[in-house]
Amino acid sequence: MNQKENTTPAIELNGLTKHFGDFKAVDGLSLTVRSEEIFGLLGPNGSGKTTIINMISGLSKPTSGEATVLGHNILHDTRVVYAALGSVPQETALYEELNAWTNLSIHATLYGVPRSVRDKKITDMLNLVQLYDRRHSRVSTFSGGMKRRLALARALLHDPLLLYLDEPTLGVDVQSRRAIWNYILDLKKKEGKTVLLTTNYLEEANALCDRIAIIDHGKLVALDTPINLKRRYGDTVMEIETTSSVSAQLSERLRTLPGVSEVIQEDKVLKVTMSADELSVTGQLITIVTQEINIKKISQREPNLEEIFLSLTGSGLRD
Amino acid sequence: MNILRIFPAYSSLLVYLDNGDKDIRSSLTERAFMITSIIIPINFLLLFLLFALTGGQAPTAIVLEDKGPYAQQFLSAMEHSHSFIIQQTTSVDAKTLMKKGQIVAIVTVPANFDSLVRDGNQVQLPVVLNNLDVDFTNDIRRAVPLAITSFYANTFPNQVVIRAHEVDAYSHDTGYIQYLVVSLMVVSIMLGGLLQAGSNAAREYEKGTIKELMLAPASIWAIQIGKILGALLLNSLSAVVMIIVIVFLIGVWPEHWDELFAFVLLLMITFVALGALIGTLIRRRQAVIPLSIGLSIPVFFISGAFGPAEWGDQVTAAITQLQPVYYGIAIFQHAFHNFTTTSTSPAIDGFILAGFAALIVTISAVALSYSRGRGDIH
Repeated sequence: MNQKENTTPAIELNGLTKHFGDFKAVDGLSLTVRSEEIFGLLGPNGSGKTTIINMISGLSKPTSGEATVLGHNILHDTRVVYAALGSVPQETALYEELNAWTNLSIHATLYGVPRSVRDKKITDMLNLVQLYDRRHSRVSTFSGGMKRRLALARALLHDPLLLYLDEPTLGVDVQSRRAIWNYILDLKKKEGKTVLLTTNYLEEANALCDRIAIIDHGKLVALDTPINLKRRYGDTVMEIETTSSVSAQLSERLRTLPGVSEVIQEDKVLKVTMSADELSVTGQLITIVTQEINIKKISQREPNLEEIFLSLTGSGLRD
Repeated sequence: MNILRIFPAYSSLLVYLDNGDKDIRSSLTERAFMITSIIIPINFLLLFLLFALTGGQAPTAIVLEDKGPYAQQFLSAMEHSHSFIIQQTTSVDAKTLMKKGQIVAIVTVPANFDSLVRDGNQVQLPVVLNNLDVDFTNDIRRAVPLAITSFYANTFPNQVVIRAHEVDAYSHDTGYIQYLVVSLMVVSIMLGGLLQAGSNAAREYEKGTIKELMLAPASIWAIQIGKILGALLLNSLSAVVMIIVIVFLIGVWPEHWDELFAFVLLLMITFVALGALIGTLIRRRQAVIPLSIGLSIPVFFISGAFGPAEWGDQVTAAITQLQPVYYGIAIFQHAFHNFTTTSTSPAIDGFILAGFAALIVTISAVALSYSRGRGDIH
């Protein structure tokens, strides 16, 4: 891919819509995925994530709107887009009855990797995901983590600029998950790849993604960096442990502070929930409490994406 | 980067070969399925062969109560009528065989047969008939009078003044089995092609690997032709076994070996492509198998398997000309027996079959391409 394409957005969706009969799976979605960023797509089951991905990858035609990948219209330059896209589907789509090397070899043929460099590239990729020693083993004998790593190696084999990862660590043990995270982060850092991923794990989105789009009912609900999302939509919970029980009047007084949404009193512990945008009231809150009683311990829990997600979509992440 | 520019023709060739190779390797790992795909077409061939062998002639008991020369000549006439499997027995044994359902008819030559014939008197020939199957019943109803006529023609040549003067279209007769087995080979190749390619195509959807193919920049044509090539090679195993069975076991020697190999290849391409199309559309191997068998059997019956299709009713003949098995049977009958069973020449039939092959390959590639844009591959 040339230099010009590196400066264009990796993915640009304009009013993307998909109808299945009367059902609107995707409803006028517009967003941009920048070049060389890790972009997370989050949404509950049936939110339209898969349909969006299918349209971006050319497996489904939009009812209306436009999708461009690296400046190429997916409908007009489909094969160019395919060549630039590396894909790791959720179910890995590996030929499990064949060995690891053959899987990569088939991929190399399908993506036009020249024969002269094919063996070296396959070797490099298998080494990258630490599967070179198992190159002659049938994929069906691999663990879930090994299959994911092999699928990642396969997706990288033709040196794509844009990598799409569908639930990259689903069903993978903790060690493999960390390894895969490191691969993904390196893809951006060392290789300058753009990564689009969907994940069920908000911890994963938090650890990997530069920006996250939350989709619900086919619409974009929120789009920002994880930090900004927490700041805008999350609540911080401050736990204040006191030397003796606090009065009901104190709780009432704290509730009147700007940004405080909830105060729960449990014996000698006060749990104060406040908007992440209004953290400036923290000092005021502590002052009010110390006027009445001594504080033994203060702890503050950061808002998490799960809460943000729930507050935005009204449902948990299931898919 | 424009992949079309860096994806030259030789890369497409590699896609054909590697994709075909991949399908062969995948099939070979599923041995039970692989064996089934080879065995079923051969089984189909043998099954219908047995059907033809058992159903060709009516088992008949003949009870000779008269041992005179006329009675013996009548027995000989029956034996040469090509309609009976004669079992000469006693009246009691014949009744037992009839009771057991082992014979269709009992023909009794009465004790005074010779004297009645010699004196020119009418002879009542008792024929006891098990008429539970009209096909066999009618065989007997046709064959007994024919045997009587043959008896008179041979015994009293001056009394039978009308003689058939037979002029044969071909230098030698061809047995029913020898004719049928060629038609069976065509349908067996059809079944093998549908099963092999249909299963290969459906497996990609069942296992989700279709996504790897659909997201690749390689041409859909190259992908589908690669799949057809793989199935073609596997199907050829089945075809080779069938040729060995027909030539060396049944003893039907082809008149034109070159035509045979060319037409086997053409026929395999046609039906492997049809199998790939069915597998692409149905996407489930469990459904491909019954559909393949269900499609092959009726097509076999209407396509002139037992004799030229034009000998049947006009509507059926017209319908059967719209599908490739009709032309396959015609060109195979020519390759094996030098027969012309259609109104067109074998060369024209071959061209029409090639047209079917090209059309079905095209439709199967279009179906795969359509599958790419449907958005139902998850």
